[in-house]
Amino acid sequence: MEALPPRSSRGMPEKLVSQLAVRLRHHALWDSLLLIFPPLLLIIDLVFLFYRAAWFTETIPLTVVPVAAAMGGLAALIRYRPLVPSVQSTARLIDQSAQAKDRFLTLVTIEPTGQNASLVSRLSLEAAGFRDHIKPKRDFPYRIKHSFYWSLTVSSIIALLFHLLLPIAPLMSHPLSGRERLGELADTMAQRPGLGEVARTLRTLALKLDDPRLSELEKQRLIEETQKNIDTKQKQEEQKGDSELLSQASGTLKDLQPQSGSGQNQKNEKAQGGGDIQSNLPQDKPGKNQPNQGSGGDHKGERNAKINKDMQQGKGAEGDPKDQRSEKSPQKKESGKGNEPQKNESDRDRSHESMAKTQGGKDEKAGRSKPSEEIPQGSPPAERLYQPGERGKQGIKGARYVTVQLPEETAMDSKGEKTGALEAQGRKGGVKIPMSNAPLPAHTPDAPTEKQRMPLEYRGVLR
Amino acid sequence: MEPEKFKEIFNRMAGEIRKVIVGHEDVIRNVLIAFFAGGHALLEGVPGLGKTLLVKSLSRALGMSFKRIQFTPDLMPSDIVGTQVLAENNGQREFQFKQGPIFAHIVLADEINRATPKTQSAVLEAMEEKQVTVFGESYALQSPFMVLATQNPIELEGTYPLPEAQLDRFFFKLLVAPPSPAELKEILKRTTGTESGEVLKVLPSDADKLIGEIKQLLRQVLIAPPIEDYVARLVYATQPSASNGGAATSTVKQYLRFGSSPRGAQSVILGAKGHALTEGRVHVSYEDVEKVLYAALRHRIILNFQAEADNVSADQILSEVIKQTPRT
Repeated sequence: MEALPPRSSRGMPEKLVSQLAVRLRHHALWDSLLLIFPPLLLIIDLVFLFYRAAWFTETIPLTVVPVAAAMGGLAALIRYRPLVPSVQSTARLIDQSAQAKDRFLTLVTIEPTGQNASLVSRLSLEAAGFRDHIKPKRDFPYRIKHSFYWSLTVSSIIALLFHLLLPIAPLMSHPLSGRERLGELADTMAQRPGLGEVARTLRTLALKLDDPRLSELEKQRLIEETQKNIDTKQKQEEQKGDSELLSQASGTLKDLQPQSGSGQNQKNEKAQGGGDIQSNLPQDKPGKNQPNQGSGGDHKGERNAKINKDMQQGKGAEGDPKDQRSEKSPQKKESGKGNEPQKNESDRDRSHESMAKTQGGKDEKAGRSKPSEEIPQGSPPAERLYQPGERGKQGIKGARYVTVQLPEETAMDSKGEKTGALEAQGRKGGVKIPMSNAPLPAHTPDAPTEKQRMPLEYRGVLR
Repeated sequence: MEPEKFKEIFNRMAGEIRKVIVGHEDVIRNVLIAFFAGGHALLEGVPGLGKTLLVKSLSRALGMSFKRIQFTPDLMPSDIVGTQVLAENNGQREFQFKQGPIFAHIVLADEINRATPKTQSAVLEAMEEKQVTVFGESYALQSPFMVLATQNPIELEGTYPLPEAQLDRFFFKLLVAPPSPAELKEILKRTTGTESGEVLKVLPSDADKLIGEIKQLLRQVLIAPPIEDYVARLVYATQPSASNGGAATSTVKQYLRFGSSPRGAQSVILGAKGHALTEGRVHVSYEDVEKVLYAALRHRIILNFQAEADNVSADQILSEVIKQTPRT
C-alpha cells in the first residue's frame, strides 16, 4: 500500500472545497451582518431622533451608539458562528451540485492512513474530473436571504412609526402645565451651549408666573416679551436641535398666554369652592371676548365677570366688535344668573323667565344654525375628556351646555325655596316632571327653566 | 486487483446468469455482492420463480462445486454435515468421516424452513465458522463457501421458521418477486423452445486466488466517516427500546420487537462497498447504503404481533427509518 501525501498538500478537489468553504463563510458573514444592520441603524436613528427631540441629553447618544454597535457586532458574531459551513457540508454541496456521488465528501473526510493509496488517488482523479462542473461564483452566488428583507421591513416600519408618532408623543406623555413645561425646557436648554441665556429667561419667567404679587397684565406682558426674544433667537439659530427646542419653548409660551389669566382664576375659583364642573376656555385667541355661558356654582357670575374683565384687559379688548355684539346678550344673562343667590325671589324668577326665553329663542337658533361657533368658555376640562381632534387651540367646538328641567321638589331643595313662592308667582306650568336631559326646542311650551352645566362625560347622550 | 477488472468479472458473471434467469436484476447483483463479500444469502419467494435455477447458474458461472440439500422435516444434521462410518482399511476396521453435502463451495439449502430446528442449527456453525464438527473433530469447509437458502413464504404448515440467531447469519435476505408480463414472455420463449441457454464458466482455473483478491478489494473500498456515521444511525434507529436516546421512530416503536444487530451494520457497509464496486466506484455513497439497507436488515429486524396484524412489512419500516434519519 502506497503512502498518501498529507491532506494539506493534496490536489485540486480539496482546494475547490476550501475555496468554496471560504466563499460560503463570507456569505454567512454577510447574512449575519445584513440581518443585524437594519435594527442597528434603527437604534441609532431612534437615539438621534430622541436627542433631536430633546428627550435625551448629549451623553446618551455618545453612549448608546457605541454600545449598540458593539452589541450588533456581538449579535452578528453569534448569528454567524452556526452559519459557518463545515468542510464536510461544503463538500456535500459540491457533490450535490456536480452530482459527484459523495466523491468530494469522501476525499475531504477520510483519514489518509490505513487507506489504499491507489484507490484514494483514483478517487481524487475522479473528483478532479468534476472540477469543471463547478464554478463557485456561478454555482454559489451570493443571494440576499429573506431574513434581511424581514429585518429591513420591520426596522423601517418601526422607524416610520417613531418618526410619525414622536411629534405627538410629548402631548401624550407630558401632562404638565405650561409653567412646568417651561421649567423642563429651561433645564434642557441649560445643557446646550448657546441657550443658557434663554434657559435663564425661561426659568425666571416660570418663577414670575407663579408670583401672586404680579398682576395678570404684567404676566401677560412678560410672556409676550419672552416669546419675542425666543422668536428672534430662533431665527438666528441654525442648529436644528436647538431650533426645535426654541420652537417648543415658543409653543409653550403661546399656550401659556391664554392660560395665564384664566389659570390663575381657576386656582382662585377652586380655592373659593367654586365647584368642580369644568368649562371650556378657548386657547387659540387669547383675550378674545368669547361668550361665557356660566360655570356653575354659586359664584359663577362673579367669576365670569372677573374672567371677562381679565381678558378684556388683554387682547380681548381689541376683539371683533361684531362678536362682542352678538355674544353680548347671553353674557349679560349669565352674569345675572351668577348673581342669582344674592337676589330675591322675584329677581330670580324674572331671571328664570328671561333665561328660558333666551334659551328657547336666540341661543337655540344660534346653536342649531352654527354649532361650530359655540366654543364654551371657562377653565379647560380634564384631558381624559377630550376626543380625538379636540386638542389644541381650537377648543371643543360644538360643545354646549344642557338645559335640564329638574323636578319641582329637587329644584326647590337645591335653591332652598318653597313651592308656595312659585305658586304665588302664578306660573302656569305648575309642578314639572322631568322630560329629558336634552335641551328642548324653543317653541316647546314646557321649555326648561333651569340651565345647568353638563359634565363632558355625558355629552355622548345628548341628542 | 483493479476496480475495472472486478467490474468486468462481475458483469460477465451477471451476464452468464442472465442467460437462464430473466429479470431479477437486483437479486442477481445482490447474490454476487454477498458472494464476493463472503456472506450467505436467503432467497424468499413463492415456488417456481427460479430461485434454485439462479443458484445453480451462479455455481456454474463461478465454476465451483455445488451441492443441493432439500430440507425436509426428517432431515438429520448428519445428513448435512456428514458422519463417521465404519470402514475396513487393510484388514482393520476404523471410523472414517464421510463428508456431507455441506462440503461444497456453493450450497443450496432448498426450503430451509422445512427442516427441524436441530437440523437447521447444524448449518449455523458451517455458515459462521466455515467448519463443521463431527464426533468432536472439526473439519474445515471449502473456500470460498456460500450458503444460498431458499424458503417459501406460503404453505407454512409443518415448517419451522428460522430462529433469529440463524437469520442473522445471512448476509442478505433477497425477495424474489414474480416476473413482469414482459419477463414472463421472455421466460416462456426461452424454456418452451428448442434452444436453451447454457451458463459458461467465467472465473479462470485459479478462481480461489482471484476471489480472494476481489474480497480484499471490496473491503478496501473507501467510505467516508460521515457515511459510516449514517449507517450507524440507521441501524441504531431500528432499536425500539426506550433506552436508545429516542432515536427510534414511532413506527419502529410500534411495530418492532427487536432491532438489527451489529452484524446488520457490517452487512450494510460491506454490501454498500460491493454495490459501489459494481458501479465502478471506489468509494461508498449514501445511495449505496440506502440501496443495500433493505437486503441487509429486513431479516434482522423482528416484527411484533401488531405489525403482522396491521400487515406491515419490514421493508415499510426500513423505508420509514431511512426517511426519518438525516444524512448529516
